[in-house]
Amino acid sequence: MFQLFLIAFRNLGTHRRRTLLLGGAIAGVTALLVILMGLSTGMKETMLRSATTLATGHVNVGGFFKVTAGQAAPVVTAYPKILELVRKEVPELDYAVQRGRGWAKIVSESASMQVGVGGIDVKDEPGFRQVLQIHEGNLDGLNEQGTVLLFEKQAKRLQVKVGDTVTISAPTMRGTNNTVDVRVAAIATDVGMMSDFNVFVPSNTLRSLYQLRDDTTGALYLYLKDVNQVPVVQARLRTVLADAGHQLMDNDPRAFWMKFEVVNREAWTGQKLDITNWEDELSFITWTLTALNGLTGILIFVLLVIIGVGIMNTLWIAIRERTREIGTLRAIGMQRTRVVAMFLFEAMTLGALGTLAGALIGLAVCLGVDAAHVGVPAAVAMFIMSDRLHLVVNAGSVVGAMVFITTCTTLISLIPSFLAARLKPVTAMHHIG
Amino acid sequence: MNAAVAQSPIVSITNVTKDYTLGKVVVPALRGVDLQVHPGEFISIAGPSGSGKTTLLNLIGCVDTATSGVVSVAGQDTKQLTERQLTHLRLHTIGFIFQSFNLVSVLSVFQNVEFPLLLQRKLDKNQRKERVNQLLEQVGLAHHAKHRPNELSGGQRQRVAVARALVTRPQLVLADEPTANLDSVTGQHIIDLMKELNQKEGTTFIFSTHDAKVMNHANAVVRLADGKILDRLTPSEAKRALAVGAEGH
Repeated sequence: MFQLFLIAFRNLGTHRRRTLLLGGAIAGVTALLVILMGLSTGMKETMLRSATTLATGHVNVGGFFKVTAGQAAPVVTAYPKILELVRKEVPELDYAVQRGRGWAKIVSESASMQVGVGGIDVKDEPGFRQVLQIHEGNLDGLNEQGTVLLFEKQAKRLQVKVGDTVTISAPTMRGTNNTVDVRVAAIATDVGMMSDFNVFVPSNTLRSLYQLRDDTTGALYLYLKDVNQVPVVQARLRTVLADAGHQLMDNDPRAFWMKFEVVNREAWTGQKLDITNWEDELSFITWTLTALNGLTGILIFVLLVIIGVGIMNTLWIAIRERTREIGTLRAIGMQRTRVVAMFLFEAMTLGALGTLAGALIGLAVCLGVDAAHVGVPAAVAMFIMSDRLHLVVNAGSVVGAMVFITTCTTLISLIPSFLAARLKPVTAMHHIG
Repeated sequence: MNAAVAQSPIVSITNVTKDYTLGKVVVPALRGVDLQVHPGEFISIAGPSGSGKTTLLNLIGCVDTATSGVVSVAGQDTKQLTERQLTHLRLHTIGFIFQSFNLVSVLSVFQNVEFPLLLQRKLDKNQRKERVNQLLEQVGLAHHAKHRPNELSGGQRQRVAVARALVTRPQLVLADEPTANLDSVTGQHIIDLMKELNQKEGTTFIFSTHDAKVMNHANAVVRLADGKILDRLTPSEAKRALAVGAEGH
């Protein structure tokens, strides 16, 4: 086997220009794949960090309460009992918080805008401080009732600064509007799309706006020690909560505010819980990740086809050039399977070296771009929830990409390798060319 | 007659024909050939270009199949063997020396000679090393073991080919015009080397040539013309026959 590897390796070295061209193409595709994966992982990580802190937990226990069939409110009643049950049944839990959910108009002296209103107990939310960069004011100001946290763009639009007062006006189920005056306690740096339609007020302020009881909230946000445990925890919660006598909504992988129409059409009344995960709640923006992954897939497929044709062509040439050698080796006793193996080794060696070079280039580009804090246009920032490109290289994915492309190049070379092995020794030996 | 003749033949060819199809034309290369070669013989196949020498060697070497007739090598009817069995037979029974050396250009002299042993998987690394070094010593290339074929002269390359053919200690070595691409002195050295190995190891050699000086070293000269065996002569008879042929022209 070593000798076959040696022949493959040295043949690649002998035809240096051809090897460099084809190896360069393989390296290019690998580098592109690594960069696109780095971008996708970076976006996902940024979204996960920002969005899961601001708009969703890793897993959420939310739901709707309906007084009549057509009047749904996104609240969970008697949440402390549910929280107690969750803490008991979910050992994977890092921490859990309750968040109020509302939809209101925020009005300043000069402008107004529709926003989602989150009710938080900022002292119980360690992740909130890590994700938000306070541009003006103090996050601890939110501990005081009747305050609000705005984002830069919102403050600019409303033309307010820290200390100013704005009015939040929320429609009730009876068709009237409840209002509350709040003081701007802090203005945070924008974090993409999340900061376009979200403001935060203390939980009690939100409860008083909607006139809710103290044991009522919008949803419980559960943060896990390992985000990969989300499906397991989600499935377990469905069972545990159902066993505890709670009514559960059918699984619907969408954000809670996209479900009003469906819920209002249904005939039930009372409380139903809805178990969702972060991807469900962000499904309206995670399409960017899906699109990027799809685009990556298409791009890589097309490039692999081009490379496949290149490899096939190169091996045809190599086999034609080495017909006499193949004949000789067959004559002195090399079995056909070994001839196949010899050419497969050659393709595999080329693939392995090309992908290794590509992975290193891709890695360097990812690390370089990430370290350079490259800024992105506002439109892009809105989707990736960051004002700069964040690329994350996952060792497992890079190795996976290398193995995938090397396997493809090896498989592609099967056809010419089989044809080489089928050459008759006598034909091969007397071949001139 | 050589003492070896008393043993059962290592090569037995009975009424063998071989036709090549070139487009719509069928060209007969061998027309009913019968030949027996016994272990230890050093046989030359002589004849002009196109007489069928290479075709005959290809059939004996199991790298081609006869159109009709029976070719037996080491007691096995080659027509009855599968491709895998034929390859196995070539690896374990036959050694090849080619006119154009046919060495693997990317391997060193040592690796080229070692290659058939690796295919055989019979010897361990040390045994292989010992065997290869011994052969390289025999062919006078011990100091060139690490060289690549393109760093050697034609004669040296052919000596590597001889070493490669003999490294598995085959019962039969086939050499197709082994001296054709060499100058007369180097060619003579190669034939001397083959003869020496034939006498020392008892290996059977069948080689094709149209060089009268090379034929002189053979135990027997099988003359081919137009795909048929004319006769089987001693070297002196062959020399006389060739002289007569030359005068005739």
